[in-house]
Amino acid sequence: MARIIKVSNLNYRYPDGTTGLKDVSFEVEEGETLVIIGANGTGKSTLFMNLMGILDGDGHIEVMGLLLNKINLKDIRRGMGMVFQNPDDQLFCPTVMDDVSFGPLNLGLDADQVTEASQKALALVDLQGYESRTSHHLSFGEKKRAAIATVLSMNPRILLLDEPTSGLDPRSISKFINILYTLKSQGKTLLIVTHDLFLTQEIADRVLVFSEEKRPIAIGNYKEILNNYDLLLKNNLVHQHRHRHDAVVHEHEHRHGYIHKH
Amino acid sequence: MKLTNSLLEILDPRTKIISFLAIMLCMILTPITRMRDFGLYFLLILAIGFFSNITPRQILKKVCILIPFVLFIAMFVPFVKEGNVCWSLEISHWKLDITYEGVWTFLNIIVKSTLSIFLLVIATSTTTFPDFLKGLDMLRVPRLLVMLMSFMYRYIFVLIDEARRLMRARSLRYFGSRYKEQFRAMGYMIGVLFIRTFERAERIYSAMIIRGFSGEILSVKRFRFSSMDILFMVGIIVSLVCIVSGLVNKIEHMRVSGAHLWQGL
Repeated sequence: MARIIKVSNLNYRYPDGTTGLKDVSFEVEEGETLVIIGANGTGKSTLFMNLMGILDGDGHIEVMGLLLNKINLKDIRRGMGMVFQNPDDQLFCPTVMDDVSFGPLNLGLDADQVTEASQKALALVDLQGYESRTSHHLSFGEKKRAAIATVLSMNPRILLLDEPTSGLDPRSISKFINILYTLKSQGKTLLIVTHDLFLTQEIADRVLVFSEEKRPIAIGNYKEILNNYDLLLKNNLVHQHRHRHDAVVHEHEHRHGYIHKH
Repeated sequence: MKLTNSLLEILDPRTKIISFLAIMLCMILTPITRMRDFGLYFLLILAIGFFSNITPRQILKKVCILIPFVLFIAMFVPFVKEGNVCWSLEISHWKLDITYEGVWTFLNIIVKSTLSIFLLVIATSTTTFPDFLKGLDMLRVPRLLVMLMSFMYRYIFVLIDEARRLMRARSLRYFGSRYKEQFRAMGYMIGVLFIRTFERAERIYSAMIIRGFSGEILSVKRFRFSSMDILFMVGIIVSLVCIVSGLVNKIEHMRVSGAHLWQGL
């Protein structure tokens, strides 16, 4: 497999002086699913913004063999799509169809190709028949799926998903995981930011853990990382709190999303 | 769900924009003294309304919401306009004069705006806003303006929801009194709303440039004029010509100002 993303020594400071990212380095292989986990505010989303060239940190980023700079930015954005956490930011057009066709139109496709690409993307996220619906009137789950379609219609090789399952009910989450499996089987490279360990276990090939110091502290096979209790505990992904086993309520550290017996 | 679409809903948005604008323009240019013409315009609008699925009740309901705004603006005109006094009111040293010119101007505003509102209500109930925007775009209205309107349409509800959530959070923790403090809270809320909107705008712009936005706004859905559109437009133009030509024949009447007519009676 070929290397598709390479980040080395990436640093980012917000305009107000707070550190966003500190010395981030990692590589992603083509076709793999890398899940980036970390507690709130550890710089996961900031990393995505840097990868897309929206924020401009210091360091070296290489995507699809191209160095991320002003000249290559357009080509990189053609091949790499990002889905924002809040679908209301992603869906800015009056109707779903307008939004889904926004990307392909900007790629310079003709009307038929645009329609075809949009229909295909909507079918993939199971939103056929939603073309002329107003984004505001969709349910949150539908909005999340429409947001993915807006990027899929551009047929990117790499997909960055920021908290894809946050705010979704269990049924919507399983629907979402199905979509992610389909994308994986199509050979797309997926980068997913989340703190949902259930999703991580379901979909990840490798896992990158962000620490509270705003930098990656570990990267490895998903089993290896998810079984490393100390690591997860130290980075606030597992914690001690009271919880219930039928009649017994007691306290010990555990992972969310896991059902364990006592 | 409706089973059938009415004629007005099938029509190309461009047809509706052009013909409704034409009717409004003719109405506005007609001198108010020609009351009979306004009657004819009203009949024309009723006829148009007949081709929509909306009931008169629904139309009237929406019109009644808008009328008070016009009334409020027009209310003071008869007192302010200078001219021949037809009626005056004196309360100690206060003096209120109502002039003929003022009354005519008042009628002018009320009649024309009421008819325009009828037309607008019919137009907005038979055209979706996205279609209306596409129509404007294809009529070569500047893209920037169309895009501004589309963003407004998309985010006004999001903003209202956000404001409502803030208000709810405030009222849940408010137990009366300390009125001065409430103004401060209101100020904070407006500030928070502004900052959130500003930051949202930045995120939206990011979402746009990521998908290749380069300043040019493109769009797919194309409308096509059908025979229905042509028929409808011809119908509107013929009716307008009929109404307006009655006016052309008696052009000298236009020169006679409202006040003279009134006095002549």
